[in-house]
Amino acid sequence: MKPIRLLLAGVLIGLVAAPLPAMAQKKKNVLNLFCWSEYVPQEVIDGFTKETGIKVNVVNYASNEEMLAKLLAGGSKYDLVQPSEYTIEALVKAGKLEELNLANIPNIKNLDPKFTKMPHDPDGKYSVTWMAGTVGIVVNTAKVKTPITGYKDVFDGTHKRRIVVLNDAREIVSWALNSLGLPINEITAENLDKAKPLLKEWLPQVKVYDSDSPKTALLNGDVDLGIVWSGEAAILYKKDKKFAFVLPKEGAHQFIDSLAIPKGAPNKENAEKFINYILKPEVSKLVSEAFPYTNPNLEARKLLSKADQENPASYPPGEPKLETFKDIGKAAKDIDKLVTDLKGK
Amino acid sequence: MALVNWLCGGWTALVFAFLYVPIILLMVYSFNKADMGIAWTGFTFAWYEKLWKTQPLLDALKNSVIIAGITTVLSVILGTLGAWMLYRYRFPWRKALSTLVFIPMVIPEVIMGVSLLIFFTLVSGPLNAWLATFSEAEWGLGYSTVIIAHTTFCFPFVLVAIQARLAGVDPCLEEAAMDLGAPPLKAFWLVMVPYLLPAIISGALMAFTLSLDEYIVTLFTTGPESQTLTLKVFGMAKKGLDPSLNAISTVFVLATALFVVLSEGVRRINR
Amino acid sequence: MLATTGVAETTGGSRRPGWFGWLMMAPMLLWLVAFVVVPTGILLVYSFCQRDDLGEIVYSFSWENYRRIFFDSDTGKFGTTYFTVFIRSIVYAGLTTVICLVVGYPVAWFIGRAPESRRNLLLMLVMIPFWTSFLVRTYAWIMILSNNGLLNSGLEYARLISEPFEMLYTPGAVVLGLVYSYLPFLILPVYGSVEKLDNSLVEAAFDLGAGPVRTFQEVIVPLTQPGIVAGILLVFIPALGMFAITQLMGGGIKPTIGEVIQNQFLQARDWPFGAALGMTIVVLFAVVFWFASRKQEPA
Repeated sequence: MKPIRLLLAGVLIGLVAAPLPAMAQKKKNVLNLFCWSEYVPQEVIDGFTKETGIKVNVVNYASNEEMLAKLLAGGSKYDLVQPSEYTIEALVKAGKLEELNLANIPNIKNLDPKFTKMPHDPDGKYSVTWMAGTVGIVVNTAKVKTPITGYKDVFDGTHKRRIVVLNDAREIVSWALNSLGLPINEITAENLDKAKPLLKEWLPQVKVYDSDSPKTALLNGDVDLGIVWSGEAAILYKKDKKFAFVLPKEGAHQFIDSLAIPKGAPNKENAEKFINYILKPEVSKLVSEAFPYTNPNLEARKLLSKADQENPASYPPGEPKLETFKDIGKAAKDIDKLVTDLKGK
Repeated sequence: MALVNWLCGGWTALVFAFLYVPIILLMVYSFNKADMGIAWTGFTFAWYEKLWKTQPLLDALKNSVIIAGITTVLSVILGTLGAWMLYRYRFPWRKALSTLVFIPMVIPEVIMGVSLLIFFTLVSGPLNAWLATFSEAEWGLGYSTVIIAHTTFCFPFVLVAIQARLAGVDPCLEEAAMDLGAPPLKAFWLVMVPYLLPAIISGALMAFTLSLDEYIVTLFTTGPESQTLTLKVFGMAKKGLDPSLNAISTVFVLATALFVVLSEGVRRINR
Repeated sequence: MLATTGVAETTGGSRRPGWFGWLMMAPMLLWLVAFVVVPTGILLVYSFCQRDDLGEIVYSFSWENYRRIFFDSDTGKFGTTYFTVFIRSIVYAGLTTVICLVVGYPVAWFIGRAPESRRNLLLMLVMIPFWTSFLVRTYAWIMILSNNGLLNSGLEYARLISEPFEMLYTPGAVVLGLVYSYLPFLILPVYGSVEKLDNSLVEAAFDLGAGPVRTFQEVIVPLTQPGIVAGILLVFIPALGMFAITQLMGGGIKPTIGEVIQNQFLQARDWPFGAALGMTIVVLFAVVFWFASRKQEPA
């Protein structure tokens, strides 16, 4: 019996002791970073800690809504989040972001002026652009010999069940709206009704819905075409130049991911220090190399390798038709319903 | 009868092959030079090196194991007690309780995660106010909340496994022990627990496994310092699961396999 | 004689709990109340609310969410896509359970009848594959099954096929993935019952002239029935809500109820509707379970 008693005692002590680390969250010099997974390479974090002595706790999320859900339900106190543009708009409207003390962020001068004071944050008071990107078409040119210039080409019926698309109802609906020449941010019942027949035609041609790693299906040869994030396309292009990237001529979504500080963040100054650190060209370059989206930091871009600078997915040539998403509030559920209904049939 | 056993043995071997094929594959690919895809480009230990240097991954593994371990212990305690009490006693709302136990299993994970998060947030306000009166400590999302969440949906598995074993048990077992003068607790401990042990082990294995792999509930109830390996892995899916994840899985599997073999060996020596 | 038992009514004890009994039950009761009843209550409240523009809750009572589940918003008729989605999940879960049962029972039998020293080892061997990370495991399957994957490459190399055989992103792949994930959850509970099977009963059946099939049907199955029922429950119920596998191995083409609910929280930001869907499932389950265990009560 004795060993068992000891074991039980040990267990009980363990039970009592285990929560204690969670309880002793005293004022340490920390930064609680809530960010897109792998968007912030480990070397960047290590570099920051080395330079400032601030310990960084990284918590990841894989979608804006996950982050929003946790923030709204009243999760832990995070110091930095990385919302996309339409989420920032919603957060600003609801007063959930802290105003930035720009005096603490002198490196902001490194940013391409195109990426400051954007529609979702007109005075640039709440956010600093981290990375931009687009949603476009990846073509496996070894398998697809016909020219692909836009959504209609993808879904013309000759590539049935050889397509991967993002598992994102809003994106999908925006492609349909773009094809019809309708504004992608006006999600009204009539616009959705107009999009419905087009989507009905398109969706059965999709083989895979994947927002997390659509490149997998393309790499594995299970699909030949994809409508994916430009970062994924850039990675594919780096692997094998047969994966061409095309921005649809009907219009594409340009997303802007930024850093912002949630209201009530306990370590606001540390957060601003981090933002400033990221804006250093050498640091920003590391981020780009890990995740080849469009880097808004002009000084950093100069430091990239030639191959990276010429990656068409990261830095699309010409003047493509791009648009950001606006916050659509309640209409999000109508979009979800539409796509779910169509998929479900 | 022997033939049947042989057939079952052969079948079991096939099933084990089925279970282990992806595992062997992922172990092999932890040595692949390429960082993604099927093509084999060369043998390397680089990913293991990278793993060793990636502190957050190792921390996450440590967190996962600790959380799973404590969850298992709590689940076994709750599950065993629960199954035993449901079996032994009759009381008015016994059926309702039986049904209630299944709720954590039925409820979609995202709902469980969100509802627990809301619950914890509601509770943390008054709780921290009370704590503030006598100490500096602050309670927030972290180990405790994740463990509570995991235990809540793991213990029904243990309970069900033990209930199955209790069904049709000879009620005289316990009576006999008590007739011989043992107080109820001792009777339970010395007679029922050994009898239930195979089911307890089954339940414990299930609880441990469930806790290790749990994503959604953990996502909502975790704090910044209690990241689990599963959270990190799911997070990395966007960039591409590089073989350092294969490496960490390999390391863990081999470590547990080694542990099992060693404890078998120790047991045999002790005989 | 032998009590034919389901899971809910393990007959045996018939006394009312004394103070000791209540004390032992207290932990589970308190736990259930605090971490199951209360949060479920919160969700119940949410399910009658609506969402505002940001996605936060507006506390105003309305049946809207439930109406949307049962009645098509466009036509007003009874029956919606949510029905189809739910039935699909049930079919997948049911198929998975049946296959796991057929595949897993012999394994549980073998382990249960193995020499005592080997049993725990075998059990652990069953579980260890699942201590690798879920995503890494699933991607390993994707590597095996995809068009350029190992299976197809192997078959092409052996000249058995000339073109890749579409295995991935099909319902078959989904079932494969589900069976793979849930097999242990059938083997383990069944093992619990098999292990205590009295060999002399089986031998007696043989002595009386019954062949293996008959023995299995009329002796072994009834005696291991509690384990079988437990295994079925522990596979079917979780499999209902599972969607990661349908997304990863099935391509996410046909949504399952788990995915739809998740979407409400993570894409549509319509928590009340998600809560309503969840509540519906819980209530449905509770009703079915209540009646099913009632039927077995008079043993």
